[in-house]
Amino acid sequence: MEFIVNHLDLSLFAVLVTVGYAAGTFAERRHYASILTRERAQRQFQVMNAEAYFAEGRVKNSFMVSGSAVISIDYFKRLLAILRNIFGGRVKAYESLVDRARREAILRMKEEALTRGADMVVNLRLETAAIGNAANRRGRIGSVEVLAYGTAVTLNKT
Amino acid sequence: MKYIARELTENVNVSKSHPLAELAWLAGGLLAVVAILYLSLWWVADRIVPRVPVQVEVWAGQQLMARFPNRPDPQLTERVRNLVRLLPAASPLHRYDFSVSVMEQETVNALALPGGRIVIFSGLLKQIESENELTMILGHELGHYAHRDHLRGMGRGLGMTLALAMLFGQHSQVAGMASNLLIGMEMRYSQQQEKSADAYGLDLLVQTYGHAGGATDFFLRLADQDEGKLAYLLASHPHPQDRIAGLRKMIARQGYAVGPTVPLPETLVHQSRECP
Repeated sequence: MEFIVNHLDLSLFAVLVTVGYAAGTFAERRHYASILTRERAQRQFQVMNAEAYFAEGRVKNSFMVSGSAVISIDYFKRLLAILRNIFGGRVKAYESLVDRARREAILRMKEEALTRGADMVVNLRLETAAIGNAANRRGRIGSVEVLAYGTAVTLNKT
Repeated sequence: MKYIARELTENVNVSKSHPLAELAWLAGGLLAVVAILYLSLWWVADRIVPRVPVQVEVWAGQQLMARFPNRPDPQLTERVRNLVRLLPAASPLHRYDFSVSVMEQETVNALALPGGRIVIFSGLLKQIESENELTMILGHELGHYAHRDHLRGMGRGLGMTLALAMLFGQHSQVAGMASNLLIGMEMRYSQQQEKSADAYGLDLLVQTYGHAGGATDFFLRLADQDEGKLAYLLASHPHPQDRIAGLRKMIARQGYAVGPTVPLPETLVHQSRECP
């Protein structure tokens, strides 16, 4: 007990890491479950990153759709990344964050396209950003943003 | 061409390894690196410290401690100087300019800072009832100087802090936290160091008063108030019972007489009791 009081910063750090691990794992599992069901539901909707060429008169309408998602790291993942900074190697802790952000952004873009009645999305592009550069600043928890955008097209039924 | 959407069952973008396993590997590796570093610093400090000239230490002490106000207590300082006068002419302690200051804190402890600055916490001063006990405690701190214990710990603490600052960056939280923990740890001496310092103090006590009376009084009082042996596992000093046993053994081995103690002079009593 005395040790905890004397080393308050260390105890706080341990609590933050534990909370980060518990909450982070819980949030990640729930997010992946949601991603998988939504992806399954939208599977038949075509999205491609190719520049598409359509026969004349095939395209009725086209418009831009976009979706973006911001995912924050937690203390536990940050600790793993700090340790990785020393030893080098793949920062595995961050891989799932980027993967989740990417898939969530594409899903949101698809949802927008679907609600606006698109038949497919072509020319899909992805951009990523570290929000506010906070990830590089001392003592800050950073977030990653992924923006997905593309051209939604509605087709004339033949 | 017919569009057939297949479900991807595997995710190649996320590694399969468990994050806790990764943490165990990385933290274990870091601990191993730190342990090796610590042991080598220990080794180096143990070899360098006995060769550091006192002048260099005094100079370094002045540089380090310049920021902290030093208000030496004239009575206690005089006592320490009298003790040093008893030492043989060859003793390196003659090259220190000792000063004793009292810090208002309830901690029952005293510190030996580099350059000959002894700090006694008022919590300890309140516990003292006789001149002999005070001499024993001052002699104990002089023992740390004679064995250069204070430099050993500082050298290791400083080396580790530097190494961690290099690893994590100077302003990182990790380095700050680790150095706080380490400096706290390095302010402590090993049980063996405390024992030798006790022996040094005991010899000075006998030289001053001609007998070893009062050597164990202070620790007996501490042992009475003690809450249990477990609390001492992490404490800075050996358990008072162990110190009493060690001192009694030394007294018996040297054949020291145990005489009556001299009560503290009024001026010191007032000072120690009236501390807020």
